[in-house]
Amino acid sequence: MKDRIEIVASGFGGQGVVRLGQIIGETAVKQGLHVTMLKSHGTEMRGGYVRSQVVLSKDLIDSPMCESPDYFVALSSAAYKRFKDTVPEEGLIIYDPAFVDEIDKGLECSHKTFPAKDLSMKHFNNALFANTLVLGRMAGLIEALNKDLVLESMLEIIPKFHDKNRKAFQIGYDYADA
Amino acid sequence: MKRFLETGNFAITEGAILAGCRFFAGYPITPATELAEAMSLRLPQEGGVYLQAEDECAAMHMCIGAALGGMKAMTATSGPGFILYADPYGWAIGCETPLVVLNSGRVGPVSGITGAPGQGEFYLTRYPTQGGNFETIVLAPNSAQECMAMTVEAFYLAERFRMPVTVLADQLITDGFEDISVPENDGEMKEMSFRVWPRKINQGPKFYPPSDEIDIAPVVLGHNTGALCSDWTPTEEGYDIEEVEAHHKHAYRLIYKVRNHRDLFSHHYDKKFMSDDPDLIVVSFGTPSRVVNSAVAKARSQGLKVGALRLINLWPFPDELFTARSKYLVVELNWDGQLVREVQRAVPKDSKVHFLGICGDLPTMHDLLTTFEKIIKNEPLSRRGWELEAW
Repeated sequence: MKDRIEIVASGFGGQGVVRLGQIIGETAVKQGLHVTMLKSHGTEMRGGYVRSQVVLSKDLIDSPMCESPDYFVALSSAAYKRFKDTVPEEGLIIYDPAFVDEIDKGLECSHKTFPAKDLSMKHFNNALFANTLVLGRMAGLIEALNKDLVLESMLEIIPKFHDKNRKAFQIGYDYADA
Repeated sequence: MKRFLETGNFAITEGAILAGCRFFAGYPITPATELAEAMSLRLPQEGGVYLQAEDECAAMHMCIGAALGGMKAMTATSGPGFILYADPYGWAIGCETPLVVLNSGRVGPVSGITGAPGQGEFYLTRYPTQGGNFETIVLAPNSAQECMAMTVEAFYLAERFRMPVTVLADQLITDGFEDISVPENDGEMKEMSFRVWPRKINQGPKFYPPSDEIDIAPVVLGHNTGALCSDWTPTEEGYDIEEVEAHHKHAYRLIYKVRNHRDLFSHHYDKKFMSDDPDLIVVSFGTPSRVVNSAVAKARSQGLKVGALRLINLWPFPDELFTARSKYLVVELNWDGQLVREVQRAVPKDSKVHFLGICGDLPTMHDLLTTFEKIIKNEPLSRRGWELEAW
């Protein structure tokens, strides 16, 4: 793997952005890596702005900032606008079109759409599983992560609805780009 | 050694328990709420007591009560709560009560911004109460792992000096997650250089000696000690006396027990690329120092002779680290410049001191590298239209 992998996830409070970062971080700890995860948020736990920045490395991590993220998960239009320009050419933006309606075609990095909210509604008739779907997709996209350990970490960190979360994770993992 | 992905708040809780803390009273506030939450879970498991107080002032007074009852105690808050410690902090200094206080900095003044980091209490931790005539001890970790280490160290120093010790962290480390290792036995604690000083009970009859001596057992009420404790000047035996000469002796002790034994903690600093007389020394503490370290390493790879000096022991201020005649850049999470004033005071007269202040987020490597380059080339600094030199 690269010396340092940076992952940014940002959206609204309540979407599970912090949980997402925490599960990826927990997986990396299980894989013997060093991890930092900063989270910043507004006063409201639901509806406000939230960002988590995860750094994975084999070495001790100095700066915990994600200044040029390898992966950026955008779950709101405001988050997309705020961080899109930090993603380098070789980086990847994964966005949910239910929240990000317009993308910047001038960017040199790659984009992948992932309709997490719609998939969650379709399979579970509930938007609650969108972040697990995103997690599954991330487990498929980030080569450095061991899929089984992501799943194990998720089941440790998310206390409820294990069957549905397992299913959502697998749907996200198997999702093929259109 | 157990390895976890956990928050700084969790690391501080585990550090406190390893150090023997068995009492916590606090009032929840972002970004120290999860510490109270962790304490409420962990302390009862260890036979300790967790109390949610009606406010911060009461919380710290309760900690003083617990310490006077013979327990190791701590409280935790952020800036808006730390200011409410003003009264009990003074009591703890005056009565020489060992305690540990965590302040996790967010953006101020007043409520400011809750879920974002700030370093606005650099001076407040030096003067957390009224009246002067005392020194404070303040330790500033820069990672979750170091939060644990410095909490253990704070308890150690609190016991030996008989006084409250503040751990000054910030939102990013207390709220943020990192991989941490928790020692499981004494051998592993030793391996991590954790030192623990046992709680002792002063049996009298001299409870408040007018000297700079340390390692005097703390005052404990009850337990047949016959000790007394109040907010007035104590005689050696602990009786109240309101008289200038006696008070001078008491204040001398509060000041010089710390000043004359700084060797116990003056090794708490970190230097990177400092051995070849760098052209620019970047000074910081807490989380920003991690970006500084990355930026300095990058600057070195680009041929810029920059070094990093990170302070861990903030107060008493380590003047002895500032003997080099050089250019200095102080990086802080505030816009008014606090540490920079102290650095300006401590450096040799003809050194030039610059300031880079950012609040609510960390400085970026780009900000830092651009600033290093400008200072080395003697170019004027400016950023987003703000005049950097006006601190």
